Amino acid sequence: MNYMPGTASLIQDIDKKHLVLLRDGRTLIGYLRSIDQFANLVLHQTVERIHVSKKYGDIPRGIFVVRGENVVLLGEIDLEKESDTPLQQVSIEEILEEQRVEQQARQESEKLKVQALKERGLSVPRADTLDEY
Amino acid sequence: DDDWQEAHERLAELEEKPALGRERDGPGEDETDLLGEPEDTLAERLTRLVIDSELEDPAVMRAVQTRMPAAQPGGLNSSIWDSSAVLRRIRGPLLAQEMPSVSVLDYALPQRPPQPREEERDPSERALPRRSSSPVIGSPPVRAVPIGTPPKQAAVPNFNQQILCPKPVHIRAPMQQRYPAPYGERMSPNQLCNVPNSSLLGHPFPHSVSPVLTHLQRAQLLGGAQVKKFPFSLPSRHRNLNGSAGERGGQRSSHQEQIRKDPYANLMLQREKDWVAKIQMMQLQSTDPYLDDYYYQNYFQKLEKLAAAEEVHGDGPKRERTKLITPQVAKLEHAYKPVQFEGSLGKLTVSSVNNPRKMIDAVLTSRGEDEETKEKQVRDKRRQTLVTIEKTYSLLLDVEDYERRYLLSLEGERPALMGERKQKICDMYDNLRGKAAGQERPSDDHFVQIMCIRKGKRLVARILPFLSPEQAADVLMATARNLPFLIKKDAQDEVLPCLLRPFSHVLYHLPLATVTGLVQQLTNLPQSAAASAPANLHLAAVLQNKFGLSLLYLVLSRGEELRSADAELARDNQW
Repeated sequence: MNYMPGTASLIQDIDKKHLVLLRDGRTLIGYLRSIDQFANLVLHQTVERIHVSKKYGDIPRGIFVVRGENVVLLGEIDLEKESDTPLQQVSIEEILEEQRVEQQARQESEKLKVQALKERGLSVPRADTLDEY
Repeated sequence: DDDWQEAHERLAELEEKPALGRERDGPGEDETDLLGEPEDTLAERLTRLVIDSELEDPAVMRAVQTRMPAAQPGGLNSSIWDSSAVLRRIRGPLLAQEMPSVSVLDYALPQRPPQPREEERDPSERALPRRSSSPVIGSPPVRAVPIGTPPKQAAVPNFNQQILCPKPVHIRAPMQQRYPAPYGERMSPNQLCNVPNSSLLGHPFPHSVSPVLTHLQRAQLLGGAQVKKFPFSLPSRHRNLNGSAGERGGQRSSHQEQIRKDPYANLMLQREKDWVAKIQMMQLQSTDPYLDDYYYQNYFQKLEKLAAAEEVHGDGPKRERTKLITPQVAKLEHAYKPVQFEGSLGKLTVSSVNNPRKMIDAVLTSRGEDEETKEKQVRDKRRQTLVTIEKTYSLLLDVEDYERRYLLSLEGERPALMGERKQKICDMYDNLRGKAAGQERPSDDHFVQIMCIRKGKRLVARILPFLSPEQAADVLMATARNLPFLIKKDAQDEVLPCLLRPFSHVLYHLPLATVTGLVQQLTNLPQSAAASAPANLHLAAVLQNKFGLSLLYLVLSRGEELRSADAELARDNQW
């Protein structure tokens, strides 16, 4: 049954495996079970995938109910092509460690930047005082 | 009161039987047992069925729950499954006393006879977009329950059972028990009249907007939707069913397979999907699609033209392209009258979305001429030009739209439309040149101002095809006269070349005299030989600009063409 041809709708995507990118940067992979008019999603057998450079790790999370406004994008995963990736899967501990290292490196460089700017009399507005959009 | 207990025990025994391998007729048999009961329990169960959706009040739920342990019949082991079912049956008798059951009966029973018809239409009904004409629906009525609330009813108990017992066949079976009542055999003529058209059941989707859906009707609608899918599970009173049961068997096995592979599939019911689709469609309703959704309409028209062209050429099977049919809402004039009470002094100050309150009394004050400074004058002038451009643009869009309107309008209306169009074209021209009534339009100033603005240039390019030859020539002349100035101003925008095409079109229709005049303007050659050389700065500027050059070339070539074509004009010395 073709719902609303010529439009974009999630109804055809139900019960299929999806990758959902959230506004806070998380990547969720799960079966889309239910939607509503706000694109609130119910994801089943969800896994949070953390990517660090060429590696990734999966954390099983169970059932997610995502409020529609927090979704950046989502797309269906082709189950056949899913394993066809150049990325390497590692264990959860390892990926969390990698993520922590990456975060640290980023913070260091950020600090240096701010320092350099301060020396020149400039300042970067802090993210939390900025308007989100 | 004992009846429901017995019924429930029977049900409990039923669920304990081995689930696999059972025909779907199983629950059907159940229903015959249940339906064999006298009518007053039918009324009770109806009441329960209907009220369930309305009164999921936590207070009520709690009150009933405290009674539950006492009221539970013996022999009930799987309490998790049945708790909600028990709950509903308990509430029924509690509430039936408060509500008159007669009124419920009046509204809630759908017709039995339409059902065989429904089944036949069933597969085709699902394909909603296949309609050839969209129903005209009035404005959405006020709803007792806002649209945003999801369909309630059997969704809840069904969910429990599904999760805890994902056995393929059994998932569907318990749902039947929800609706033994609505298909009660006995119906008074009263009920037949009051019940909305069976088309409501057959077409849950497009028609559901129009009738006012009360809770009761919705319950029945949802019940109808359910029945649509499992017609073969109804009692054998329907003789037509036996024929279709065989056909359903094939569908069922693939369905089972699908469920076996993914036991959590179809958590979202068809009905719920339809509900979301309905909301999305409602958002697309519009009174004037060409106004609200211009680009989509044009895009779709283009696609259709392509498809039609393809089909003419190709011999392939005609692919039916399902088209999105958006319901067209009739334009209603809403004259909002604020609430008034009789006998009261004055009106209520009620402010709502339809009747917003005026917060500020903004008054336009026009400033005196002397007080303005020079900068302000310049600014205002520019603003005025911008406003003129915008006004002319809307005129232009209207004029461009007339062609489409011709096609849609009746024969009698067409002259009127033509007249309107002409008027608008004149208005546009006046706007461009600056209305100077009585004068010979000596000043190009207005026009030049417009041409200084990027949008103005594009506007002129779009208008030119609509103007009469004289008017167009006039525009051309004015442009040529002021070309150096315009070139200077265009340095940043670089949009003058867009004028080339319409200019060349115009040129083809001009007589030689005009063309000659044009050349003169372009080069600013003095008519009397006595003038001195500095005039050639004009020409120099023209030649240095790509647009100027191309324009000059066009004019010259056209002039030559005309001269060579007509021997008489060849004698014209001015050239």
